[in-house]
Amino acid sequence: MLKIFVGFVVFAALAIFVILKGGNSLDMSGEKHGDEAVHAPAEAASGAASDASAAK
Amino acid sequence: MATLDVDRPMSAEEKKVIFASSLGTVFEWYDFYLYGSLAAIIAKQFFSGLDEGSAFIFALLAFAAGFIVRPFGAIFFGRLGDMIGRKYTFLVTILIMGLSTFIVGILPNYASIGVAAPVILICLRLLQGLALGGEYGGAATYVAEHAPHDKRGAYTSWIQTTATLGLFLSLMVILGTRTAIGEAAFAEWGWRVPFIVSIALLAVSVYIRLSMNESPAFQKMKAEGKTSKAPLTESFGQWKNLKIVILALIGLTAGQAVVWYSGQFYALFFLTQALKVDGATANILVAVSLLIGTPFFIVFGSLSDKIGRKPIIMLGCLLAVLTYFPVFEALTKAANPDLYAAQQKNKVVVTADAAECSFQFNPTGTVKFTSSCDIAKQVLASSSVSYENAAGAAGTPATIKIGETEIPSYSSKGLPADEAKTKAADFKKAVADALKEAGYPAKADPAKVDQVKITIILTYLVILVTMVYGPIAAMLVEMFPTRIRYTSMSLPYHIGNGWFGGLLPTTAFAIVAQTGNMYNGLWYPIIIAGMTFVIGMIFVKETKDVDIYQHD
Repeated sequence: MLKIFVGFVVFAALAIFVILKGGNSLDMSGEKHGDEAVHAPAEAASGAASDASAAK
Repeated sequence: MATLDVDRPMSAEEKKVIFASSLGTVFEWYDFYLYGSLAAIIAKQFFSGLDEGSAFIFALLAFAAGFIVRPFGAIFFGRLGDMIGRKYTFLVTILIMGLSTFIVGILPNYASIGVAAPVILICLRLLQGLALGGEYGGAATYVAEHAPHDKRGAYTSWIQTTATLGLFLSLMVILGTRTAIGEAAFAEWGWRVPFIVSIALLAVSVYIRLSMNESPAFQKMKAEGKTSKAPLTESFGQWKNLKIVILALIGLTAGQAVVWYSGQFYALFFLTQALKVDGATANILVAVSLLIGTPFFIVFGSLSDKIGRKPIIMLGCLLAVLTYFPVFEALTKAANPDLYAAQQKNKVVVTADAAECSFQFNPTGTVKFTSSCDIAKQVLASSSVSYENAAGAAGTPATIKIGETEIPSYSSKGLPADEAKTKAADFKKAVADALKEAGYPAKADPAKVDQVKITIILTYLVILVTMVYGPIAAMLVEMFPTRIRYTSMSLPYHIGNGWFGGLLPTTAFAIVAQTGNMYNGLWYPIIIAGMTFVIGMIFVKETKDVDIYQHD
């Protein structure tokens, strides 16, 4: 159990690091359906792209 | 067969069973989040060359892939699982899921092969949807049938933690790739990497699953020639079983699903879209609360072995019903106090001909709402403005009154695209200016965002999720006999989570736009969770002490 706990803490720390680094470019809202899967807004994509670039 | 009540640590074989089963669920979540995070890029690569009519059809198919086919997968693979065995069935489901994900990574885009690209992509998504329908029931059944009688809740709850693991794994792979190759290369070809690397996850899963033994309960039943010849007829054609399937849906999984979607996805949506908290802050706060909450899946799964599954799941639903309104209001005060103050101070009224106003329920995203009333309400709802509705004269366009400023809305029906775009921009600007004057903030002020309080609130919502979701696999397994368990438990799980849960965002938005109050979207999860609480309390029996092999 201790190994699992330590593993989870390491995983959690890594996850937080990734999300902090990802900033606005990460979308955690899950799978997209219907129209939003086919017509992703161009501005959102480019916005995400520029945010990601800024985060680097 | 694992039926002895022995207080002993988990054996190496049991750990392997849990690990092998959970990997498939990690896959499910990894894939779920990949399609979310990369939606913009995938749409551009595969759908951008389509005309409007084709795009409409593909939108419907994408909707079907996400929602409709999963219950069919539950029936198809559930039947196989009850006839030929759990091991081989969930080996097939993970192979289909994994290979489909991998093929997306190497699939030529629209620019290379034309319309064949979106057609193949949608076929792969439909296949994944089918396989997903069979995956969870197999994993839960397999683990439960290996678990000791008094530890089924604890053992199966490990499967429930994989949602968090899958989310963060997908984010790590996406961000790692982006950082390594740069944004431009990622948009061009690097987005394929997260799909392609899933082959490694698949290889590990298949290797481990191949080395596993068939569930002892199924082996015994097969040796005695007692397996079901027609699981579908037995599950859904006989009232005594169908009744339990229906109860499992409306008395358990429907409520569990809306509490889960509210706690994780709607909370994030509410923070970013309604409260205008910037995406980076909202992501980190939700992630922290998920990480704090995740161990509680095990806590409540294990607790359910002691005090029962039903009290924990029902308490989770009841707390959701009783506390969602005050909790989301507290979230507003903590995240965007200026918005809260503006909502209290200003009266906004939409005056419209009732015949012009629709209930803007749009699950496929393909319906365009063009009346002046619908447009006015869309703009206000997306600005998180609470408003009152007043009856307007028949045939007159709707108006929005903010303080003393009155803004006429417009109908975009029949307008040329350019003119509609200009009118929309002018109207939104007029509304935004009036709202600004009335004190509505365009974004949450970072200096006033109380991150500690928000994290506490979100963690509470996640803990409700763990209460309803932690013990659910064990409870579903225990409701059905071995010969039809896979079929019977998979269907209510996927209808509950796919349909009741998956339709939460669009239903909530339609209610908000209709009623003019940004909290009213919560009525949807509250009503469903309330229904589950009442029906579950009256009709669903506690199952923790059930001998799941008694009818074998």
